[in-house]
Amino acid sequence: MSMQRIIVVMLLFFLSEGTIFYWLLPESLIGRVVPHFMLAFVLFAGLYRNRHTALILGMSFGLLQDLAFYGKIIGVHAFTMATVGYLAGLLMERKRSTLFMAMSMILMSTLVYDTIVYFIYSVFKLTHGTFQWALLHHILPSLFLQVLFSLALYVPLRRWFESSGKKKSDEDEE
Amino acid sequence: MFNWMRNKRMFVLMIVFIVFVAVLGFSIGDRKKLSWPENFVMDASGFLQEWLYRPAGYIGGFFEDIATMRELSKENEQLRITAAAYARDKINYNQIEQRNIELMEALEFTERQKQSNKYNYLIAQVVSASNDPYNPTIRINLGSKDGIQPNMVVVTTKGLVGLISRVDPFYSSVMPITELDVRSPDSKLIAATVLREGKGKEEQESFGMIESYDKDTGMLMMTKIEKDDKLKKGDVIITSGLGKVFPYGMIIGTVDNRQVGDFGLTHTATIDPAADFDKLTNVFVVQMPNMEESGQ
Repeated sequence: MSMQRIIVVMLLFFLSEGTIFYWLLPESLIGRVVPHFMLAFVLFAGLYRNRHTALILGMSFGLLQDLAFYGKIIGVHAFTMATVGYLAGLLMERKRSTLFMAMSMILMSTLVYDTIVYFIYSVFKLTHGTFQWALLHHILPSLFLQVLFSLALYVPLRRWFESSGKKKSDEDEE
Repeated sequence: MFNWMRNKRMFVLMIVFIVFVAVLGFSIGDRKKLSWPENFVMDASGFLQEWLYRPAGYIGGFFEDIATMRELSKENEQLRITAAAYARDKINYNQIEQRNIELMEALEFTERQKQSNKYNYLIAQVVSASNDPYNPTIRINLGSKDGIQPNMVVVTTKGLVGLISRVDPFYSSVMPITELDVRSPDSKLIAATVLREGKGKEEQESFGMIESYDKDTGMLMMTKIEKDDKLKKGDVIITSGLGKVFPYGMIIGTVDNRQVGDFGLTHTATIDPAADFDKLTNVFVVQMPNMEESGQ
């Protein structure tokens, strides 16, 4: 699958985050189970393509999210998603990752992502809850959704990202 | 060679980091006008999200309606009682309004003074809502082309929902009042008073400031209430309109309890907000007459 198609699919998921997915959630879970669909795509790009793709995808889709819901501050998600995607790529790019490795990597990265986001918001004094509260209130519940989402899309996403970068990686390996 | 490359990479990283911190710092707080890339992205995403939010809302709302079917007859009965009370009050109101106009004429009110309490309610559809717990922005389909400006008040039929935080040409962002926080760098305080029913107007008007929201209890904090204020549990709190930034008479919520404040000089009250903040479909933006003039 070419990169353009992947971007279109990502855009569709981005649009559904704030609309369809928002309506699917029961009211008591809004703000507690936070979808990180874009981050999942970016991490897959880092794991199965390369770290530069993850960096660029993370920065652009993070910025898109920042701008589309601009209320307080711009750049939090762009910065964090780019960093986390790049780091995931840096760690896992050269290894053949299994399903279990990929899932634990996504779990860890999402945790790191939410932690960085929390600390940026608290550095700029835009949130005043303690980290423990944030952890229990939305970071841990969101992890379940993230793992479910990445498991559901593991097979297609891996194939898309691996096949779109195949030409390059084949040349590199041989 | 390798060392030089490394340094260059380091240098670029530092520059990127500094740019990010600058953007973060720059984008906090009140900005009257946004730049064109921001406007473009915000309008484009709003346009696309609008096509998804409404159908999703219809379907989601349909299932919720089925779930709440049983409460319908109870609600119907309540509405009938309210309608009867309304018909009674309407006669009374017409008389008083007529008298009010006559008195305004007699006292030679200027045109601006006469218009100052006539608010324009613009109906807006919600196009999307953010899931981010730190930034639960709601996007609506009215923008600066429709006369929307930052800090306008957004209400539903139940009560005050939030304030307009960012405006682009065709859409705008609403910050719910659950994000009010006196400690944040862009804090806003809403002057509030008690809705007094009946004729006890001689008694001193209540005054307080809605200043923050407690996420654990789901209550708003109202501070700076005078010790001898008559505010009590169960009172309906409305915006007071003092300061002329926010309009008068928007329902905020009901008083849950009242206690002595931090320094013992004033009292604070916790307010149970009247409006729902999740899964909204239609909201009203309240346009104040003098705001329209100052905007042009």
